[in-house]
Amino acid sequence: MTRPLITHRTLDRIGLLFVALVMISPVILFFLWMISLSLKYEIDNGAYPPIIIPENIAWSNYVKVFEENNFLLYFWNSVLVTGTATLLALVIGVPAGFGIARLKAEKSAVVIMIARMTPGLSFLIPLFLLFQWTNLIGTLWPQIIIHLVVTVPIVVWIMIGYFETTPKELEEAASIDGATTWQVFRLVALPIAKPGIVVSFILALIFSWNNFVFGIVLANRETRTLPVAVYNMLSFEQVSWGPLAAAALIVTLPVLLLTMFAQKQIVAGLTAGAVKGG
Amino acid sequence: MATVNIQNIQKNYGAVKVIHGIDIDIADGEFVALVGPSGCGKSTLLRMIAGLEEVTGGAIRIGPREVSHLPARDRDIAMVFQNYALYPHMTVADNMGFALKLKKADPAEIRTKVQRAAGILGLEKLLDRYPRQLSGGQRQRVAMGRAIVRDPQVFLFDEPLSNLDAKLRVQMRGEIKTMHQRIGTTTIYVTHDQVEAMTMADKIVVLHDGHIEQIGAPLELYDRPSNLFVAGFIGSPAMNFIDGRIEEGAFRTKKGLILPLPQGVAAAGGRDLVYGVRPEHIRAATHGIEGRATLVEGTGSEIYAKLDARGEEIACLFRERLDVRFGDTVSIDIDPARIHLFDKQTGLRL
Amino acid sequence: MASVSIDNPIDETTERRSKPARLAPNYWPFVMPALLVVSAVIVFPWLFTLWMSVNSWTLGQPRTFIGFANYLRLAQDMRFWESLWHTTTYTVLSVVLPLFFGTLAALVFDAKFPLRGFLRGIFVMPMMATPVAVALVWTMMFHPQLGVLNYLLSLVGIGPQEWIYNQTAVIPSLVLVETWQWTPLVMLIVLGGLAAVPREPYESAEIDGATAWQKFRYLTVPMIAPFLMIAVIIRSIDAIKSFDIIYAMTQGGPGTASETINIYLYNTAFAYYDIGYGSAMAVVFFLIIIALSFVLLMVRARANWSDMEER
Ligand SMILES: Nc1ncnc2c1ncn2[C@@H]1O[C@H](COP(=O)(O)OP(=O)(O)OP(=O)(O)O)[C@@H](O)[C@H]1O
Ligand SMILES: [Mg+2]
Repeated sequence: MTRPLITHRTLDRIGLLFVALVMISPVILFFLWMISLSLKYEIDNGAYPPIIIPENIAWSNYVKVFEENNFLLYFWNSVLVTGTATLLALVIGVPAGFGIARLKAEKSAVVIMIARMTPGLSFLIPLFLLFQWTNLIGTLWPQIIIHLVVTVPIVVWIMIGYFETTPKELEEAASIDGATTWQVFRLVALPIAKPGIVVSFILALIFSWNNFVFGIVLANRETRTLPVAVYNMLSFEQVSWGPLAAAALIVTLPVLLLTMFAQKQIVAGLTAGAVKGG
Repeated sequence: MATVNIQNIQKNYGAVKVIHGIDIDIADGEFVALVGPSGCGKSTLLRMIAGLEEVTGGAIRIGPREVSHLPARDRDIAMVFQNYALYPHMTVADNMGFALKLKKADPAEIRTKVQRAAGILGLEKLLDRYPRQLSGGQRQRVAMGRAIVRDPQVFLFDEPLSNLDAKLRVQMRGEIKTMHQRIGTTTIYVTHDQVEAMTMADKIVVLHDGHIEQIGAPLELYDRPSNLFVAGFIGSPAMNFIDGRIEEGAFRTKKGLILPLPQGVAAAGGRDLVYGVRPEHIRAATHGIEGRATLVEGTGSEIYAKLDARGEEIACLFRERLDVRFGDTVSIDIDPARIHLFDKQTGLRL
Repeated sequence: MASVSIDNPIDETTERRSKPARLAPNYWPFVMPALLVVSAVIVFPWLFTLWMSVNSWTLGQPRTFIGFANYLRLAQDMRFWESLWHTTTYTVLSVVLPLFFGTLAALVFDAKFPLRGFLRGIFVMPMMATPVAVALVWTMMFHPQLGVLNYLLSLVGIGPQEWIYNQTAVIPSLVLVETWQWTPLVMLIVLGGLAAVPREPYESAEIDGATAWQKFRYLTVPMIAPFLMIAVIIRSIDAIKSFDIIYAMTQGGPGTASETINIYLYNTAFAYYDIGYGSAMAVVFFLIIIALSFVLLMVRARANWSDMEER
């Protein structure tokens, strides 16, 4: 307090910045090392002490991933499964969030809460059998359907939160203006909740994209999603680290980019809903 | 435009009775104000008329139609909310035209109607703005515009001016009144500000704890309040109430102060009464009732003073410039024709 | 906040409506589709699992009703008890460590300093990254001969470790990854709590002459306590179900040293195709999770914080 306030504060801030940098160093080191591994030839990856920036950059690792492992197909599978499961979740989850918020129906929210608590594997046994009997196993549908277990709760949770905070008077005004309940939802509640929809869309997308356990049970050679494909590389190609790291990076890159660009929405959504898929 | 007829309306929230059976008749084109203290059920009553709240009992008619159980959208009413409830994602024009769009009206027709309403309210230049780009008063006007465009049978207002500052409130008060005179739609207007009610309404309904205390024209309520509650609620500053009895043709308070009475009320002797006189009906006089000033507030146009006359506190409002200071003794004169007598037991006017 | 506010007994009594009003818009059509889908992928599987759990059935062989024999077998299955123990240690560590580091991080990120938003964005990345990809890179980093971690340890004079290739080190190593990945979630929850903390008590405490530590101990901690509890609940439920990282890195190995219930369940049902036994295990596992949630929610209700997180 005796020192001039400005310098005092500046020092504090620099100190905090330093602490924060220390805290995020494991994150930065991890991702740097991941990139480094993916850009090195086998010799460099096997070197001791480890090399961070190699002399020869092995772009070929990335080419290899796509050439040898059908990665384009798996990438496309992931896009289809995640995309469809997320869009379906929005279609049924956004109205549900609206309904639950307006009904104050905590009871029905409990059903969704239980969906979040149940271990994914316990849905999988019966659904796996069901899909076998209905001959759906060779298609992407089993995975799309079961990914709804991840995406629908996320969307519903976040949307409940959003609709609870939008003023009810707007909807009353609309119903006085002659809107039916559906029109109230469609023309007033929905446009206002757009930011919430974006948040739930992004989070559902990410957690569905990352999902591994459903794919490992339900996917075959043709219907694998990216996480499963990467895992399979791990078991077959123990030795070549470069392509393995490249594959890992390819899988998670879309998610990381999304996290970067939609940081604000993601933080808002996670802080509010504290959700996680699986 | 239509009459509104409210019959024995009741409202319970669970076991809690909020409205206890209310009857109101509203003529075609009438401007009715619902006033009462906070929590008395004004909003609840209005929302029942709007169809936003289910009635527990009784019937509501708009024109010849019984609407008690119709959803809001079928009642052909418009409502202006306290915080305006403008659709934030629509422009002013779209806000105002929303109801017509829902009715699938012709876009050109919507445009002309919106233009006309905007003309009435001076909103022509703001039609392409979004609500967040408007000032409080402008938002208020858009909310009214939204109601006008509808051309409904009844306008409902729920404390539409309470979010505005004092000056704007006076201005908007005038505008709403002008608008009503111009288009003449039946209007029900909720407020807890009695000045608003007095200045705007053709008829005032005073609510208290879910009951009607009195219905009447503003001056009627002012001149002949039918009970202590209305007498105390209407008029500002509030009426003086002094307990006492009639003895020997004069009003004698417990502390022995004698107050003048009009002719022919001596019959009410023998029971506890309340003597009511409005501060503005008390004049300074050269001699009369004497009191010591315990509070003096001058605004320039008038002087508000509290006098202690034999232990009774009497508030006075003097229009003339008097040189009164704290502690001075002032003589006052009460016009016996303008006093009110109430039964202390029942609270009713004699 | 949303996911754990199901147990507020006060709400239930005050919010009760007299009877469904005729005028009130009907919102059920909005909820029905989601309710149907969720029931289809939850309720049906549950009934089915319950039924399977009282049958003996390995895929490709005939099914027979055996009553509670699967449950009895489970009670005597040493491998199950071991996996329960692994699950317990894994869960406890995976709650405590992220809670500690996450709270610390939240306190830092609650303050103002340059680049705060950007750094927070980076800090959040692990929890968004694909777990399998994360597991894969950690596996390489854990490599006893070529891994970068042992190299880093050698820089500070610590000898090489076997990490996930060692029976005793495997669970702590996995917890390290779990902590790395989920500390940000705790950080976000606590940050949300800190944002809701009012300023005035701090100002009056300052006037009363409180030290920074006293302010933290007597103001911050009690005020963010409800959020810490939420973090504990969410983290516990997630950690006990953890699958991706463990499976991708060790498949429960070496031997069965890192086999949690979830992994054992997977192996039983989808490696040995012992559907009946696996179903019984799923039922018991689910009951354990329900019991855990129940206990945690009870603790939370006891602490009487409910008025705070309603804001
Ligand atoms: N949903 C509800 N459940 C229970 N009681 C309610 C509900 N809504 C209103 N009330 C009660 O009904 C009474 C009347 O409320 P109302 O909103 O009509 O008052 P008001 O006259 O408009 O007051 P104000 O001037 O403060 O707006 C109040 O005592 C209120 O507590
Ligand atoms: Mg009100």
